[in-house]
Amino acid sequence: MVGPTASLSNLHRADGSASYKCPVTGYDVLGAVNAPIELPARKDALKPEDATIEVFVKPGKATAGVGERYVERILRTMLEKVILGREKGLPRRGVVITLAAVGGEAAERGDSYITIIPALLHASLLALISAAVPLSMTFTTTLLGVTRSGQIIRDPSPAAAKAVASLHVLSFSSKGHLLLSESQGRFDFETWELVRQQAASICRAVATTGSDGDTDMGEGADGAHVDAFVRETVEDSLHRDYTWKLESA
Amino acid sequence: MTTPLILLPGDEVPSDYLPSSKSNPLKIGSGLRLLSQPSTKSKEPNHVLSATQAGILETDARRNTISLLSFPNRRYIPTTNDLIIAQVHHSSADFFHCMITPHTAQALLGQLSFEGATKKTRPMLKQGDIVYARVLSVGIGAGAEVELTCVNPATGKANPGGLGPLNGGMVFDLSTGMAARLLHASSSSADDDEPVDGLVVLSELGKKLEGFGGFELAVGRNGKVWVDCSNAEENAIKVTIAIGRCLQGTDEHNLNPADQKKLVTRTLRDMKLV
Repeated sequence: MVGPTASLSNLHRADGSASYKCPVTGYDVLGAVNAPIELPARKDALKPEDATIEVFVKPGKATAGVGERYVERILRTMLEKVILGREKGLPRRGVVITLAAVGGEAAERGDSYITIIPALLHASLLALISAAVPLSMTFTTTLLGVTRSGQIIRDPSPAAAKAVASLHVLSFSSKGHLLLSESQGRFDFETWELVRQQAASICRAVATTGSDGDTDMGEGADGAHVDAFVRETVEDSLHRDYTWKLESA
Repeated sequence: MTTPLILLPGDEVPSDYLPSSKSNPLKIGSGLRLLSQPSTKSKEPNHVLSATQAGILETDARRNTISLLSFPNRRYIPTTNDLIIAQVHHSSADFFHCMITPHTAQALLGQLSFEGATKKTRPMLKQGDIVYARVLSVGIGAGAEVELTCVNPATGKANPGGLGPLNGGMVFDLSTGMAARLLHASSSSADDDEPVDGLVVLSELGKKLEGFGGFELAVGRNGKVWVDCSNAEENAIKVTIAIGRCLQGTDEHNLNPADQKKLVTRTLRDMKLV
């Protein structure tokens, strides 16, 4: 399985930016973050002690529609929990996150929108880190599909996503909290619990302990956990930016 | 020197990385927040700090400080005592309203906070004029106004720092990380030829451009650098552009000292200054 690729600070004029590309699902998202900036029209008065977070999602080839509005709301509610809007310089200011789907197949009318959420969330996390916006924790997200025969597949391609019985997007924080759970299709609680366990093992390097006391080592074959990937991307980027400091030390 | 430690938001600072000096209180810089501190009540013997940004942990054992070096292209957030380059947006009865970074609230600079300024002799700054100022206060609470000053409040003089209106010259944009690096390199005394913070671009430019009468430079923490070389007469524009290009090139491509020297040589040759 080919892992995702990402890079930080690609855009010169934004405060922070990142691109995230997942070859399996085919999504390629470019994210830019500008923060803290002044809000127009006294939007700040609604929450005087906190930062206001705005998320914009733009599809590459079409105008944004209801699907984009739907994922924007999901992203905003989740990121509001993670961004420390009361840190210095942020209250009464805005954090503007712009995400553009620059590659991959455009979702057609009636297609599921939740398949793009992992790519959007990873791009926004990396862009927020690159803009040095205070965060309480990092998070990782995965997309799982359950086929009609009950098999759980990781990162289904857009074509495969049309055929599955249910789709699930789960997001875990670096401390192990479940931050987001969006599902679509028909499924029961037992299936969801299996999906949650598998998602936790994909997202987090910490071994999960099964109910029988055995330690489940997760997807050993894939090797790459998503949180290790996020950490490596950020560390590589910092190493590149601070070569002058690290070499002299 | 231990290996550099990179933290991500939410990571706790390992207790063996904390400066151990007990003589003065621990100072916490940007990117970190205090979760608990040692007291008689809590069992924890050390400070517990958690990162809120991604960055390289930097500690200073002598001054007992700890901070996180984050990405260099982030937005500048005003902090008291920082030197910045601000642009006058408009003036009102008591204040000049200045821009520090785009899309943020304007900062206030008192009409009389200049060296030797009185009601009669204050500088008449117009829209678009550039001033080199110090952040006097950032206010308390949400959305408070930032106040700037061009004098040292203790002495009433413009020095140290050479604060005041910047006439002539040109302003170039840099990343905030590069601006901080330039300021740090200039403040630490270079008594030998060792490059400070891996920066040789300015000393190299200084050597090469001596024949043109040298140049003046002001660096603002908000990612701006002002360059003036009015002594170079007919070559003034060329020299200014060459200095700006060298600084921006070093910043964008993250050049090492050898490449910085090459960039200076190449830029000056391209501009037909050598």
